[in-house]
This record gives sequence, structure tokens and C-alpha cells, in this order.
Amino acid sequence: MIRIGVDVGGTFTDITALDTGTGARDVYKLPSTPGDQSEAVAEGIDRLVTAMDATAASIGYLGHGTTVATNALLERAGARTALITTRGFRDVLEIARQRRPALYDLFVTKPAPLTRRAWCFEVDERLSAAGKVLVELDTARLDPIIARLRELEIQAVAVCLLHSYRDPVHEIQIRDHLRRHWPEGYVSISSEITPEFREYERFTTTTMNSYVGPPMARYLDRLGRRVAELGSPVAPLVIQSNGGLASLAATRDRPVGTLLSGPSAGVVAARHLGERIGRTNLITFDMGGTSTDVCLIGEGTAMVSPQRDVDGYPVRSPSLDIHTIGAGGGSIAAVDPGGALTVGPRSAGARPGPACYGHGGDRPTVTDAHAVLGRLSPEGILGGAMRLDVAAAEAVVDGLAGELGMDRERTALGILRLVEAGMARAIRHVSVATGVDPRDHVLVAFGGAGPLHAAGIAAELGIGTVLVPPNPGTLCALGLLVTDLRTDLVGSVYQVADTEALPELNGTLRRLSTQARSWLAAEHIDPADRELTAVASMRYRRQNYELDVPLPARDLTTGDLTELVDRFHALHTEAYGFAHEGAPVQIVGVRVSAIGRIPRHEPPPLPAGGPTPPPSAVAARRPVVFEAGTEDATIYRRDALLAGNRIAGPAIVEQLDTTTVLPPGTTGRVDEHGNLLIEVATR
Amino acid sequence: MSAPDMITTQVIGNALLGIAEEMGVALRRSAYSTNIKERSDCSTAVFDHAGRLIAQAEHMPIHMGSMAGLIAHLVGADLGLTDGDVFITNDPYAGGGTHLPDITVAAPVFRDGELIGFVADIAHHSDVGGRVPGSNSGDCGSIFEEGLRIPLVRLVTAGRLSTDVLSFVTLNSRLPEERGGDIRAQLAACHIGRTRLLELHDRYGAATLREATGALLDHASRRLRAAVAAVPDGEYAFTDHLDPDEPGGAPVPVAATVTVAGERIAVDFTGTGPQSALGINVVRSALEATVCYAVKAVLDPEIPANGGFFDGIAITAPEGCLVNPRPPAPVAGRTDCCQRVADAVLGALAKALPERVPAGSHSSVTYFTLAGEQGGDFWVYPEVVAGGMGARPDRDGLDAVQVHITNSSNLPIEALELEYPLRVNAYELITDSGGAGRFRGGLGIRREIQALDSGAEFSSHADRQQVPPWGLCGGLPGDPGAFVVHVRDGKGERLRSGRASGIHLEPGEAVRIEAPGSGGHGDPLERDPGAVAADVADGRVSPAAALDQYGVVLTAAGLVDVAGTAAERTRRNATT
Repeated sequence: MIRIGVDVGGTFTDITALDTGTGARDVYKLPSTPGDQSEAVAEGIDRLVTAMDATAASIGYLGHGTTVATNALLERAGARTALITTRGFRDVLEIARQRRPALYDLFVTKPAPLTRRAWCFEVDERLSAAGKVLVELDTARLDPIIARLRELEIQAVAVCLLHSYRDPVHEIQIRDHLRRHWPEGYVSISSEITPEFREYERFTTTTMNSYVGPPMARYLDRLGRRVAELGSPVAPLVIQSNGGLASLAATRDRPVGTLLSGPSAGVVAARHLGERIGRTNLITFDMGGTSTDVCLIGEGTAMVSPQRDVDGYPVRSPSLDIHTIGAGGGSIAAVDPGGALTVGPRSAGARPGPACYGHGGDRPTVTDAHAVLGRLSPEGILGGAMRLDVAAAEAVVDGLAGELGMDRERTALGILRLVEAGMARAIRHVSVATGVDPRDHVLVAFGGAGPLHAAGIAAELGIGTVLVPPNPGTLCALGLLVTDLRTDLVGSVYQVADTEALPELNGTLRRLSTQARSWLAAEHIDPADRELTAVASMRYRRQNYELDVPLPARDLTTGDLTELVDRFHALHTEAYGFAHEGAPVQIVGVRVSAIGRIPRHEPPPLPAGGPTPPPSAVAARRPVVFEAGTEDATIYRRDALLAGNRIAGPAIVEQLDTTTVLPPGTTGRVDEHGNLLIEVATR
Repeated sequence: MSAPDMITTQVIGNALLGIAEEMGVALRRSAYSTNIKERSDCSTAVFDHAGRLIAQAEHMPIHMGSMAGLIAHLVGADLGLTDGDVFITNDPYAGGGTHLPDITVAAPVFRDGELIGFVADIAHHSDVGGRVPGSNSGDCGSIFEEGLRIPLVRLVTAGRLSTDVLSFVTLNSRLPEERGGDIRAQLAACHIGRTRLLELHDRYGAATLREATGALLDHASRRLRAAVAAVPDGEYAFTDHLDPDEPGGAPVPVAATVTVAGERIAVDFTGTGPQSALGINVVRSALEATVCYAVKAVLDPEIPANGGFFDGIAITAPEGCLVNPRPPAPVAGRTDCCQRVADAVLGALAKALPERVPAGSHSSVTYFTLAGEQGGDFWVYPEVVAGGMGARPDRDGLDAVQVHITNSSNLPIEALELEYPLRVNAYELITDSGGAGRFRGGLGIRREIQALDSGAEFSSHADRQQVPPWGLCGGLPGDPGAFVVHVRDGKGERLRSGRASGIHLEPGEAVRIEAPGSGGHGDPLERDPGAVAADVADGRVSPAAALDQYGVVLTAAGLVDVAGTAAERTRRNATT
């Protein structure tokens, strides 16, 4: 049986395949086809199975990461979307949280709603906060709205009523009516997309689901068809923002769940790599050209955030808590009007890119600083496929150095120190915001630029170990091979955690668990591989931020409740340093996660060698500049290193998809999984 | 900055900013009240050994005044600071505060007996006692009516929490449990800040830290001077007005004269009205924070907002005027006057740099509380409703945002209905409230809230209910705001002033809050007719206003009648 992971990126489509019979693993990379991503996906799968002397008929598993929904949003190429809401509230999306995105910028803009005010329709209906119907809905009143939808050529509708998380009755009536009388349109209802209180976040998420729904549905249909035409007996599973997979049908109904899925497969892969070496507290550090993604993994579990932002919009959908920092290899260094060196937020992007790439970039970037300091191979990157114009990098860095009155090398080192200090602050912020001390973690570095900076950032954060995976540039495709199926179902409770809350709490838990089980059954998961987990979102009464407290996915007893409250106090102490023992604790909602375990298949281990790397692994020696001065560093070839090899900094490890820097004082070790583990002296 | 120290300095600056941010995280995460957690009505900062601000987490520009004011008092007075002390205050006259609900907590940080800096945080508390629930109504006659005055006192002495002081404060609040929780959260934030500042100090050493903070202040000061040097020399004056502070009175002038000479900038408020009997007075710390906001926003939004920047602006105001009052002048609603100070400074700078300044914004802190008693417990719901941001020289103003010195979130309708015996009937943009112009002013917000069960007591402070937000370069003014109380079946009674208290809403009665729009920029007859048609389709502009104000003729289908519009505009231009 062949297991396949396909990750579609902006430039390339990466495919990883594993033959579970022979243990053979193969990768294939081809240019993405932005017009229809499924073209490259199908073509790549076809070529890879052919190269493995197999046919598509032997495919037993197909994990897929796609950016179709995300691109539709970022390019504002979604459907013409209308909103149907409670009378008096058509401006919830316009008003948002009434904050401006920047305090001091008088020319600031805020993201416009994904619908138009003219396309927001109000209906007479109203629920109280307790879920009582105050004003009945008359579905006959929807008919003039449907006529308008047709006139306006609306393609998708978001139905978002006040307090529908309490009782979806009116939203369901509207949806059913629309399905009957407007069958051509795509409809999402907020009580299904994210049944939680706080209207702006719920309305926006639902509107976004409708906005990306039609283009995503068209894509998934095409993809399913192409894969079937190849002769694959299995349909693709699509990775979601929560780091789990879901079927084409489930993704079609809830595409908003994929909006933040881009980096999630990398996090899943990092967790998997950590698990294999017995390290469960990790910080992933995925640095690319324009941005960097960071995620915390605690005790083998990636943190899940109930809400994240996409392009200025809140998306209320359980997602791996990945934080994006707006700095990468392409970040531009400049001198500010006060004479200080700054790095970013402007970026040279992919084009023109850094000066050393020779595409006309004329501003010094982080990558140019690396080139100047001898950290990137003068023969070029991507195995020499892309030449480096070191002289161009020197010229732009010299320009900056002249403005600063510093020398070339100090300037380049300064650029790296500043970008690393900024990254370290961002990672620290992410950690402490969840009550975590980064020092207890392993930094897993990937993406094209992650391994260049990982040792420096680890030192800044007090992190002792850095893990560089075998293929840091294609980690996402690996992640797609080791991802479980998963869905997260949320329900509102809003009760003080005492015995009186039990009926509602247990009712909600039962309802969500039943839904979760039928989801797993619909996804054809073997009962032995099914798992349900649950958390309660809890807070002190009058607080407005919640903590997730694990709870058993079954009916709760009074005793369970007491334990739950105790655990909440303990978590609160852990996160914030104190607890209000005796203060009323509220359960705001519960989340049940359904997980369908996918069997793992280990690739064969890396051949073992001694502590000294084989001579073939030493590519060269060259002068490389570090803070303490210029050192004669050994340059290693990653693909020739063997398990057990040890490397002492100063050293550079080169491979096709990245470059790893080991500054003086650090040591590296290759393990049997092919990971490069770097020990960093901490302050 | 001399190389290579500049990089180290910036790395330290980055770390100091990280400390302020981490304090902010700790404060928001552990606070009790929605005002802090949900609306982020709080700020945090780190100061150097001499009490100069070196890093802040940006939440509310106005808060910087209070923290800087408190630290100035701490440094100035002979209080015998010792390791492990934490101070608390809220007093505008004795503690550097700006109004009583803003409680500031600050700690000196020592290493080996030597003072290395201060950490401070501030939060808007939903009630600190006084005559009116919420302690924030604009119609108190003196500060003694406005709530508990906490002088600069130790809340923690040498590491030991003074429960005496804490209970004294909490007992004076209508919500003692919430006050206790919030103040403890403020202490937790200070504790984190102190720990991190010590770590930074130990890592770099006292001398390097001190040098670096000095260099950071110099850098901001240099950046300000560079920005000022680019402004044409001259004296630029602008007078804006607050709504009358007494029935039948005249609007109250707020007059700013900005003088630019080379690298120096000075702002003087001579011509501003006398201090008021209402709580709209602005003490020194609030004035400084506001002027700094306006200067930074216009000249260079990227200037680090630290002491080096603050000290570079010379600010003067005659004693006894609205922006330099004598105690015990009431100050609860000072934000309205601060917003007017910002408008006056922006208006003056518009004369020097017309391409960089928007038309007048809603510039009110349309604040109200609804409060009551339910089952023996007090409940207090404070809220600020945003409005329009003035049209910019190159684009429309934003609808429905906070401007200038505040940026607090709303409380979601669903959260408020879950929490309080209230129901929201409508929450919407107000058509035509944005001033017409080549670029349109942003729209204000209407929010109607109904009292349930046992009714509710309404109190408020707000401005721009009579004096509208101004247009620029031929743009028209935006609509002023209003409070309408005792609303039943859509009809109610409009309050004559934005500053009110003691209004009881019977169960079933509602209050309608209308926040102002904002001014337009440029001649409305030059606005792109297509943009007008889109505004009409979206209900931001009425068809009548499209014709009256913009001279745009629309077809029955809502499309631009090109010939009709050209004729209409030609006719208008001929008659003016």
C-alpha cells in the first residue's frame, strides 16, 4: 500500500510517498498550478507512483494540504456573499469591535466586511440570552429577501442570528427555507459553524465560511474527480487548521476550518519527530522568506486556539495556536530618522527578493547579511541551482554600513542580532501568553531560513536544544503522512459549575459526543482507532477569558465537577500565578474532539556511523563571521552525515532545502532518525 | 549612539518592550472585570532609574500620562523607597492620575540596594465609589463627589501585601470582589515586570543597562527633532470647542498654538476657557499624554513613545484654565476635553502640514454606565460607543472606530445580555452622519439598550452633542451625537447635555445612544459620483443627501445619472 502526502504551496507542490510494504520513501516536487491546484496534485501523484513502479490503484491513503480557501480570502476572490441577521443588527460586521488597527496612524484602514452593507438583510426574530424565543420567525417573510438575492446575483449566504448559539431554531428554519427556495446558493448558519457567544466573531467566521465556500466546493469537486480518474481507490483527506484531517464532504461544508491550515502539517510533523526522540515540549520555528510561524507543543500536544486572525479578521474555529511573525529572510534592513538600524517590517518578498538572489533587489535583507558573513554557500543554494551574488549583497550592506558609520561585518551581524532579538521577543510573548516558560522546550527549526537562525534564537531564549529535521524544507508533506483525522465540536453552556449545571452540561456533552461518533463513523474510522476527548472552557464569573480544562467525554457527576473546579483553580494558578479559591467558577462551553487514529509507518533508520563524520560529509572549510570574530568553519553535507556523527561549531551544514548554522560553542549530533540535534550553551 | 553599542542598545530596547508586553499579557489575562479583560482598558510600562519612561505596551495613549505622573511623584517625593514596595494611587492632584477610576500600581525595582528602574501598570476600574455608579459621570461638582481618592500609598511594603489598604479601597467600591481581583491582577503584572527587569539587569550589568536606556531616550529625542525640523517654521493656531458646560451657556474654547522653530516644538493653550464646574478638566499628566499623542500621530507615528520623546515637546497652559485646573476641580470626564485638545493640536498642525491631517473626528468618549441592583448585588455596565473618524486628505474616514486617546473595544451584545438585565434593540451605523466631502467622514453608531426587570440607572459623559466635528478644505461637518432616554415605542426624551447622572429607566424603557460622525475633506461636489452611488446603495448616504450635498443625481435603479449629475454640479458651482 502506498501512503501519500501532498502539500500545495504558492510555488511548489510537494509530494511524499511511503510504500508500507517495502519501507521505500520518495519525494517529488513540481510547480504548483495556481489556476487549478488539483492539476499539479494529480499530475504529481501520477508521476510519483509511476516512479515507484506502482499504480494509483495501490494508494491506500492520501493526505492533502490546500490553500484554495486561504487564497480566495487573501485575494478577495470569494463568492458574492449576503448576510441574513436579526432586525437591528445588520452592522455587526461593519462595527466590529470598534477599534482601529493602529493607534497613531491617521491614515489607517480596517478590513472591509466580506459582504456589502447593501447585501445585509434583517429579519424579525429574537432570542433572549437564555435562549427563549422573544419574537417568532415568520419564514414567509424570507421570500422577498430570496427575490433580492437573485436580483443581486448572490452566490452564498451567511445566516447569523443573535444568541443562536443558545438555540439554533431560527437559523435552521431559515436555512431549510433557503435550501428549498434558493437551492442554487451556498448557505452557512452560525450555530453550525461556531456555536459560541460573541456575535462579531461568530458572524465574521460564518460570513467567511460562506465567502470561501463556493470556490472551495468547486475545487474539492475537481480534485475528487481527478484523483478518482487516476484510479485511486481512496479519496483525498484535507488537512484543517486544527492539525487534523477531514473528508472532502466535511471540508466542503466547513471550508473556514482550512483557512489557517497552511502551516499546520509542519507542526504535526514536528510533534511526530519530537515524540520519536522522547521530547514532548517543543516550540516550532518555521521561518520563510516573508514570515515566520511559531507554535508551542506541550506534553506532546500542540496548543489549540479557539480563535485566530486571518488578514485582520477573527476566525473562530479551533486551530493549532500558530503565531505568525512578520519577519523572514526577505525582511529589509534600514536606518530610521533617529539614526538607528531597523529590520522589517518591510520585506523584499519573493520578487525582487534579497539582493544576492540577483533578481534586482537593491535593499539589504536578512538573507544578504547571511551571504556577507559567509553563512550561505558561495556556490549557491538549492544545491547550486540558484546562484548567490555575494558581491551584490556586499554592496547593499555596505550602503547601510556607510549610513550607520559601521563596518560591513558589524552591520551584517547587527541585522541578524536585531532580527533574532525580535523573533525571540515574539516567541517569548507567545509562550508567556499561555503561561509557558520557553526554556523547558526544544526548538524545532524548519522552513528555508529557520535553521540559519535557530541556534541564535535558542541562546536568546535560554533554550538548550535545537532540532533540525532531515528535510526542513518539505516538512509539511511529511506531516500529511502522520496526521490523524480530527474534528472539534463546540457547544455553549454558560453555567456556574455546580450541581444545577449538570443537566445542561451533560446534555451538551452527550449531544456533541453523539455528533462526534457519527462523524467518525462517516469517515469510516475503525472503532479501535477512535478517540474522543473533551475540554470545558472555564473562567471565574465576570472574567471574560476562558481556560480549557480537560474533562472526561462522558456524563459528569457532582464529584467530577468538584474535580473540574479544582483543576481550573490549579490551571489558573499555573497560567496567572494565583487562583480565587471560593469564587464562583463558570463553564462557558465545552469542546469535544473526535480523533481517528491513522497508523504510523516508520521509515528505515539512518545508517549508523561513528562520532566523526565520514570524509565525504566534509564539503569544505571557509571563513564565516560570528559575533566573536571570523572563524574557519567546517562545511558539512547533510546528506552524507550518518547517525551518531558529531559536529562542533563553528560549522555550517548545507543541504538542498536549507542551511544550518552552528555558532562557536554549540555542538551537533545526528540521531538515527536523521535529525540534527544542536546543543546550545544557555545563559 | 556609537557603534557597536547601538545594536546592543536596540536589543535591550526590544527586551524592555517585551517586558512591558508581558506585563500587559499578565494583567489582561488575570483581571476580573470585563473592562480590562474584554475592552483592554489598561496599559503597562517600564521606567528607568530616574523615572523616565523607556518602554510601554500600547493600549491607551491617555494612560501614559497617569503612569508617568505617578512615577514623577515617586521620584520627586521623599518616600524612602525600599525593595519590594508597590505603590497605588488614582489621584489626579496628589498622585499624577488623570481621573479616579484609573488606578495605577507601580513598583521601584532594586538590585543590591540600588534603584535600577520602575515598572507600572494602570487599569480603568468599573467603580471606585462616589456619588454615581461607575464613578465616571461628567456632572459632579468636585472631585470629592467622583469617588475614592487614593493618595500615593504603599499597597505592598517590602514584599508584604497591605490588606488594610486593599480592603480600604475595595470597601469603597460598589463591586468590592471585582476591585480586589483587578488590583491583584495589577500586582501580578508588576511582579512579572520586576522579575524580568531584574533578569535583564543581571544579564547586561548595571552600566550597560543604564547606558542603553539613556541611548534609547536620546534616539527618540533625535527622531522627534528630525521630524520637527521637516515642519515649516511658524506659529499655527486653532480653536475647537467643547459643548457648553452649563445650561444655556456658550461652547467652551480649547485653543492650541503650535510653534515650530527649527528642531523645537512648543504647544501653548492660552485662550482656552476657564476650568469648569463639571468633570471635564484636564490635569497636567493627561494634557501631556494627549499633546504627545497628537504630535506623534502627525509628525512620525513610529517615534518610540518614551521619555526622550515626551520631554522634547514644550507644553504650557495658563493656571486655572480647563487644561491646567486647580484642585478640587472635578475631572471624571476629562477624556472629552483631551479629545478636544487632540483636535485643536491636529487642527493647528493641519495648517502646517495639510496633507497629513484628517478632518475632525467624532472625538468624544461617548461614555455611559447602566447600573442597578439585582438579588442584592450591584451591577454596573460601563461602555464607550465609538463614532466616525474624520475624512483623510486622500481617503474616506473610517466608520465606527475609536479615535485619538482611546481605543477600547465594545462589549459584545451577547456578552452584555448574558451578564446584565439589559437588552439591545439596535446596534447600527447612522446614515448621513459622516460629513460630506470629496472624501466622506466616517459614520457614527446608534445603540439602543432596554432595561429589563428592575430598571436601570443611567449616567454619562460625552461631548460633540452640540458642537459638530469639523470638515477640512471645504468638507462639511459631521453630525453631532445625542443621548435619548426613556425611549418607549421609538419615542423618548433627548438629553440637553452629554453629561448626566441619576436618570432612572423603568423596566421596558430604553436609552438610545448616538455617537457622532465626523467631518468631510474637500469639496463634496468633487466626490466621485460612483462612490456616492455606492454609499447610497449601502445606506451610508441617503438619496436626498446625495443630491443636496453631493449634487449627484441617481436613476431609479440607483445608478449615477451622468448627464444629470454634471448639469446639477455645474449649476451649483455657478451659484456659489
